Amino acid sequence: MTLTPEILTIYILDGLFLFFATIAFILSIVIIKDWDFNATTKLQYSLEKKSYLTSTIIKYMFYIKLPFFLFFIFTLDNISLILPGAMCGAGVVNSNEYATILMFLKLINLYLFAYWILLDAQDMKQEEQPYLKQKFFIFIGLYILLVLEISLEYSMFSSIDVKDVVDCCGAIFSTNDNTYLSKALSLSPWVLLGVFYMNFAFLILSAIYKHPYIFAILNLFFILISLLSLVAFFGTYIYELPTHHCPFCLLQYEYDYIGYFLYGVLFVGTFNGLVVGFIPFTEIEIIQKYKISLFFNFIYLVTVTLYPVLYYLNNGVLL
Amino acid sequence: MIKLLNVSKIYDKNVIALDDVSLTFQEGELVVLKGVSGSGKSTILSLIGGLVKPTSGEVLVDNKKISKIPDHFVSSFRQKNIGFIFQKYNLISMLSVAENILLPLAPLNLSRLEHKERLAKVLGLFSIEDKRDVVVKNLSGGQQQRVAIARANINSPKIILADEPTANLDEKLSIEFIEILKELKSQNRTIIVATHDPLFFELDFVDRVIEVKNAKIVL
Repeated sequence: MTLTPEILTIYILDGLFLFFATIAFILSIVIIKDWDFNATTKLQYSLEKKSYLTSTIIKYMFYIKLPFFLFFIFTLDNISLILPGAMCGAGVVNSNEYATILMFLKLINLYLFAYWILLDAQDMKQEEQPYLKQKFFIFIGLYILLVLEISLEYSMFSSIDVKDVVDCCGAIFSTNDNTYLSKALSLSPWVLLGVFYMNFAFLILSAIYKHPYIFAILNLFFILISLLSLVAFFGTYIYELPTHHCPFCLLQYEYDYIGYFLYGVLFVGTFNGLVVGFIPFTEIEIIQKYKISLFFNFIYLVTVTLYPVLYYLNNGVLL
Repeated sequence: MIKLLNVSKIYDKNVIALDDVSLTFQEGELVVLKGVSGSGKSTILSLIGGLVKPTSGEVLVDNKKISKIPDHFVSSFRQKNIGFIFQKYNLISMLSVAENILLPLAPLNLSRLEHKERLAKVLGLFSIEDKRDVVVKNLSGGQQQRVAIARANINSPKIILADEPTANLDEKLSIEFIEILKELKSQNRTIIVATHDPLFFELDFVDRVIEVKNAKIVL
């Protein structure tokens, strides 16, 4: 087992998350079981107090979880320094069977927690709290995912062996293998770019014609195509190296930590786009979400586009 | 109209403040709740003002279930509809009379002109125009009570809840306070006064005197 100060911090925070999430989980079950808004009984008033407490616990968990995710990425990057062969977090992720699933699960949980926060805000806007049972029911599912995430995190860190030699990102994100990832990275950049920019154009159209479900689905697709085009095409211009396809090195000092900005902007943009399909907003709120989502997705699009454009302007050729 | 339906309130350590109380207050009524300390009078006011929630039962103010709705809705409702007058005035001693009176308007983002107009109105109504810029700690008890009443009225609330309002006043000032209440009643405000001051029990403009004893209403 490898224990660095960062991993120890993660374990302690995981323990705290588990403790508070378990309290919220138990309270959620109690609330769902007996909640009746119209009742004026002692039990109902006690459940109302419990519901505020539970919502507060869940909200603060998310507020901590968001920067905690960045800390997790930072930790992966740091561990790469002691892992033979690893050049960045990608080597650490590839060093054992749990890390890739954990990364995806962490991302899904972030989106789900953020969704929960918005649903809670919608619920609290109305006197009858119409989504109360729904939000606590969702949290029960979230709790299971959170426990799974913490278990995977523990398994991942405890299975890292500093004596093992691991692959560097150059080998993992190579276009020469026969893996799905290699095939995806080998796609023609023009196809990728076409889909990427078309996707954004459709996002604008679906917002103009006010189709929240289509907008949400397109945002989901935008996450995938953005990440794929970043790794396969745009990233190579950030690194200024045609064979470098790593999503982790973007987070390093050498590249001005641009990855944190790009992933952050993409998260805010796509999250606000996704929720319009799943939360019963008013028309004004939906328009606000369209605007926020398009704005942040546009910032992402412009930022990644600038790299190849500037490269071309400086060098007169593309990679 | 204010309704308490089968309301019980039990504080921590099983202190029963109210036990299955049902009450109705009509609009424009002036009701005096009498009873010894700890009988449950203040709890009734706190429930009507949404400061506390019942342990069981329901509180309705103008058909709004204020005991059921989330706290931030209650705060908003209280701000618009309810004025409180406390025994110890609960003024901020370092602020001036005008600043204290204007405090309830702070979250409303009203214009400066609106502030000025409303302030002038209540200062005149309670005869404290000349004290406008005096720091509250330099006022007498009676003057502080007037400021507290002015603050309770700055939003022109429909309901005024007064908890032992004359406990710190001498008889002369208490009579002055009663005159103010009479004036407020003439404006069709619903007024509920919790007190054990006998001055209130025989007033001709008081609609009802309700006795609260051992957490119950004495019929």
